[in-house]
Amino acid sequence: MAPIPGSGLAKGLAVTLRTMTKKSVTAPYPDTQPDLPPRTRGVIGLFEENCTVCMLCARECPDWCIYIDSHKETVPAATPGGRDRSRNVLDRFAIDFSLCMYCGICIEVCPFDALFWSPEFEYAETDIRDLTHERDKLREWMWTVPAPPALDPGAEEPKELAAARKTADKLAAAQAEPQEGES
Amino acid sequence: MTLAAAAGTAAHATTTTAAAGTHGFLSPTGVEIAFLLVGLVTFGAAVITVTTRQLVHAALWLVVALGGLAVEYLLLTAEFIAWVQVLIYVGSVVVLLLFGLMLTRAPIGRSPDADSGNRPVALAVALAAAGTLVWVVTDAFRTTWIDLDGAPAGSTDVTGASLFQHWVLPFEALSVLLLAALVGAIVLSRKAKADAASDAADTRRDTEGTR
Amino acid sequence: MNDVLDVALRLLVVFVVFLTFPLIVGQTEHKVMAHMQGRLGPMYAGGFHGWAQLIADGVKFAQKEDVVPAGADRRIFQLAPAVALLPYLLVLLAIPIGPGEGAVGQVLDAGVFFVLAVMGVGVLGSLMAGWASANKFSLLGGLRTAAQLLSYELPMLLTAASVAMAAGTVSLVGILDAFEWWWLPWQITGALVFFIAGLAELQRPPFDMPVADSEIIFGAYTEYTGLRFALFLLAEYAGIVVLCGLTTVLFLGGWHGPWGADGLGWVWTLLKTAVLAFVVIWLRVTYPRMREDQLQKFSWTLLVPLSLAQIALTGVVKVVFL
Repeated sequence: MAPIPGSGLAKGLAVTLRTMTKKSVTAPYPDTQPDLPPRTRGVIGLFEENCTVCMLCARECPDWCIYIDSHKETVPAATPGGRDRSRNVLDRFAIDFSLCMYCGICIEVCPFDALFWSPEFEYAETDIRDLTHERDKLREWMWTVPAPPALDPGAEEPKELAAARKTADKLAAAQAEPQEGES
Repeated sequence: MTLAAAAGTAAHATTTTAAAGTHGFLSPTGVEIAFLLVGLVTFGAAVITVTTRQLVHAALWLVVALGGLAVEYLLLTAEFIAWVQVLIYVGSVVVLLLFGLMLTRAPIGRSPDADSGNRPVALAVALAAAGTLVWVVTDAFRTTWIDLDGAPAGSTDVTGASLFQHWVLPFEALSVLLLAALVGAIVLSRKAKADAASDAADTRRDTEGTR
Repeated sequence: MNDVLDVALRLLVVFVVFLTFPLIVGQTEHKVMAHMQGRLGPMYAGGFHGWAQLIADGVKFAQKEDVVPAGADRRIFQLAPAVALLPYLLVLLAIPIGPGEGAVGQVLDAGVFFVLAVMGVGVLGSLMAGWASANKFSLLGGLRTAAQLLSYELPMLLTAASVAMAAGTVSLVGILDAFEWWWLPWQITGALVFFIAGLAELQRPPFDMPVADSEIIFGAYTEYTGLRFALFLLAEYAGIVVLCGLTTVLFLGGWHGPWGADGLGWVWTLLKTAVLAFVVIWLRVTYPRMREDQLQKFSWTLLVPLSLAQIALTGVVKVVFL
């Protein structure tokens, strides 16, 4: 059936009129906070207790916006006659957010889970130098990092849980076997 | 055609009545002073139109001159003619003129080659025409005054009535002439496949539509 | 003295209408357009739903520097906004909003002629602006404006003539006095053609090729800033008010309504005008811009024949039935 001439025009008018009567989707931002999804790339938090100063993040950063200073300390041997161990101590950890392009590579490469995304985004400054967040500030952001979202139902168990369970099962089995022999 | 319906009332055959007894040839009333001043402006604009070296300025001064004429018509109680003057000349002809100027070449500033070199001849013709007109008009009307009791001679009612009751034949002859011009323009544009002719057709149709 | 006072009062009222109605239309456009696109529109200026947004815009425009390009024709460049704006003010004088002498700025014998003639002058402003800006985009915009005006003036005049034939007068007040409800279906084609041609003369979307921002920046107004630019915008919105008012008066019966025509005639006029203004905005939001050749073709091959047919219909009905 051939469409009636002008029916497309009428349809267009109907669409705009219907949209007008519906609630608009705009969120008036400063008045209402946006509902951000998990893993939003707002700001990077540093969990400095986990940091070993391996420098991987600073080296992988495409913008070279991570500054790390550290020094070595010797830890006296724990057992008498043992060897002294040396340890890296973090002096400075800073991210310059005026350079950062929020690619997240630093977070991906960190082998010790010391860097996290936080959804906070309201850290604009009037002076560009204030955008270089130092260690304390980065540590503060950690409090805003949300808990990781739950896995999908039926998804594979997380690797570390699976490994831990395996060990626990083995241990349980090892303990159970001698008991069986006894009885 | 469009005014056929408007022509309702009877025509006032006597368009003007002599009332010279109370008024002199030029008694300075407000209307006359305004008429003179507007006339001066119109005249000045017209002179600038033909003397300026800037093409687009000439066209815009022409707007002033034509608008001044419309005001003069209004002051002479010829309301209908005044609005037609604005509609056709200012609204359409000058727009077409400007359109043509912009399409071809209209630099900002002076165009030295805009002078045709016919100044003396043009001046002579203009003076002769002006002299003839002034002489004929003053001789014909002298101290005639427009009768403002009832519908004035230039009002839409009276114009429509006289146009479609007394002057129907000339009016229709003119429409046929315009129609012929329109058809001719279309034929020319078809044959030459030139865009310029279609512009001419536009004006013709404009004049037809507003007549 | 009383006459002088009367004239002064009328002029003042028309001037106030001229200054406020375009702003109301503009604000409505802000909000309606926003909601049609699922947005909110201005929300802050003035506190309540951004009602003072256009006033804020005006203040902003007034603060801007008045720039005239170096290569431009100064005098004409500066004069153009006034030429574009003033005709609409004059037209507003002649539009009756209610029955009787009191509800019209000035009763004119040849009202239809006056209105169409003076509206046609407004385009000179765009032409002057386009030429005097010394900018190729402005010139192109001016050219397109002129071409559009030439082709859409004709259907507009023809349909207005059809109404004048039906009423037997070219006076706007006379047309309204003669109006009957069945004129609505009788002149509906003419009304549509008149309204569409009017939209094209105002260069409103979908007929905004002369100011197509994606092609020629802002057409003839590209080089304008500050108050002069604001005047051009004001001219556009005043044009909407005038066009909607005219369509109301010529085709929709002005102050005539199903009831309350005696004391509330002006309400009907304003209501119809407002609805038409909404339609203008609605069309802008809904339809994409027409191409230049489509514009010309639309007028010459559709609107002109339709308006001629309307005139024929009017003539036949007038002769046979009345």
